[in-house]
Amino acid sequence: MDVGRHPNIRLLAYSEVEKVEGELGSFQVTVRKKARYVDEAKCTGCGACAEKCPTATVDSYNLGLAKAKAIYRYFAQGIPSTYTIDSRYCRNFQEGKKCGVCAKVCQAGAIDYKQQDQLIQLEIGAIILATGYDVFDARRIEEYGYGRLPNVVTSLELERFLSASGPTHGHLYRPSDLALQASLPELEKSCKKSAKGFEKYEKELGQTWQDFYAAYQRGELKGAEYDEWAEQVRLWQRLSDELEKKKEQAASRQTAHRIAFIQCVGSRDIRFNRHCSGFCCMHSIKEAIIAREHDPEAEVFVFGMDIRAVGKGFEEYRNRGAREAKVNYIRSRVAEITEERDHTPVVWYEDTKERQVCTMAVDMVVLAVACEAPAGLKRLAEIVGIELSDFGFVKTRFSEPLDTTRSGVFVCGCAQSPMDIPESVAQASSAAARAAQILTGAETLRLAS
Amino acid sequence: MKSQDVLVIGGGIAGIQASLDLAEMGFKVHLVERLPSIGGKMAQLDKTFPTNDCAL
Repeated sequence: MDVGRHPNIRLLAYSEVEKVEGELGSFQVTVRKKARYVDEAKCTGCGACAEKCPTATVDSYNLGLAKAKAIYRYFAQGIPSTYTIDSRYCRNFQEGKKCGVCAKVCQAGAIDYKQQDQLIQLEIGAIILATGYDVFDARRIEEYGYGRLPNVVTSLELERFLSASGPTHGHLYRPSDLALQASLPELEKSCKKSAKGFEKYEKELGQTWQDFYAAYQRGELKGAEYDEWAEQVRLWQRLSDELEKKKEQAASRQTAHRIAFIQCVGSRDIRFNRHCSGFCCMHSIKEAIIAREHDPEAEVFVFGMDIRAVGKGFEEYRNRGAREAKVNYIRSRVAEITEERDHTPVVWYEDTKERQVCTMAVDMVVLAVACEAPAGLKRLAEIVGIELSDFGFVKTRFSEPLDTTRSGVFVCGCAQSPMDIPESVAQASSAAARAAQILTGAETLRLAS
Repeated sequence: MKSQDVLVIGGGIAGIQASLDLAEMGFKVHLVERLPSIGGKMAQLDKTFPTNDCAL
């Protein structure tokens, strides 16, 4: 990406717009550049700080599916590559605690715990809003069990699972299996700890725990002390049985073979969003095809009211999905997702062609979550002084789809309404052209004759 | 004072494209992003439709 290098672009990352005054041609804008506690000019992005940082946090880029440190880089190829300290977690910012490890290991001397937010004043001619969207919080549809059933994930989470840079390096393991795997070291630790407990008794009694326990069970050893020892043995047995079982399960884990994609999760639903999110039909087909590429044996199902393949080449892509990836499109509405033994999700749906209520057990369910106006857009709209549509996106007119209700302020991409990547890019170029046109006056853009 | 600088709010694919276009035309662009790095949602995608090429 050339943005970081372009001489005409000043990148203000980790910043927010606070105030907009003035009018077209002379807006006075205040931007708050939040403190990173790392000097952007000095940080080389080497990562020594994060390697040594003792505080683990969740990785928001990977949607909480992976771990991060309190000093972090949003993602590996991110621009700028400067690290940032998350003061909500960093020990140095918690009362009564001290750390300072990152400052010690940073060879560039870039760590600055005393860094303050900076207010930057800008003289601006025109403004382009490109604030994008938020994905719908699938927890709001309780019957789909997202957040409660481990193997029900969102489409964006699936992208991270399928990605080579994601939490599973591109292997599509079920989240319940990953959780099981992650629980093993802890269990092993408590198992060892409880074993240590009766090693002591073995020494004292001069017999193995098996002999002791057999004697205890025969009733030959009585007293509170022996009861306690026996309890220790039982605890250890319980833990080691559990560990063995879980180890076996973890060893036999396989990647997800049967995957169900549920469409319109939070879109075209009068309870949440009435609008169609536009791009989910295509991204579910794409994810189904990629899942099949990762595992040629995979079976993929797309549950939806209809498939809206309205762009250039979209219908062909849909058919290619059916032909090459054997995507099964099931015209249906999903009512509920429940769980069977071993965290296997079961999809309850009405097949609207057969007019029947059916169930299907799968390894993993992927929810095509709606595209919603971003949470912060309302406040930003107030700051910038523009109106929003009934759906919460930036209001525009049919005849001027890039012009907001304030002169000199333009909008592009999903901030305007849900749209896919090529459309966003096309709109962005158009908005750039509108800004250029209004700033220079149409005359100067005319070719000299 | 008249200014010809442009403020782009949001460093996703749309904001990046708008910024690059304007910068190429010779305008000075200030690109504001809420998160520590630009890229937006698209940077989180594995591969993109329709060619199934890598998103980054």
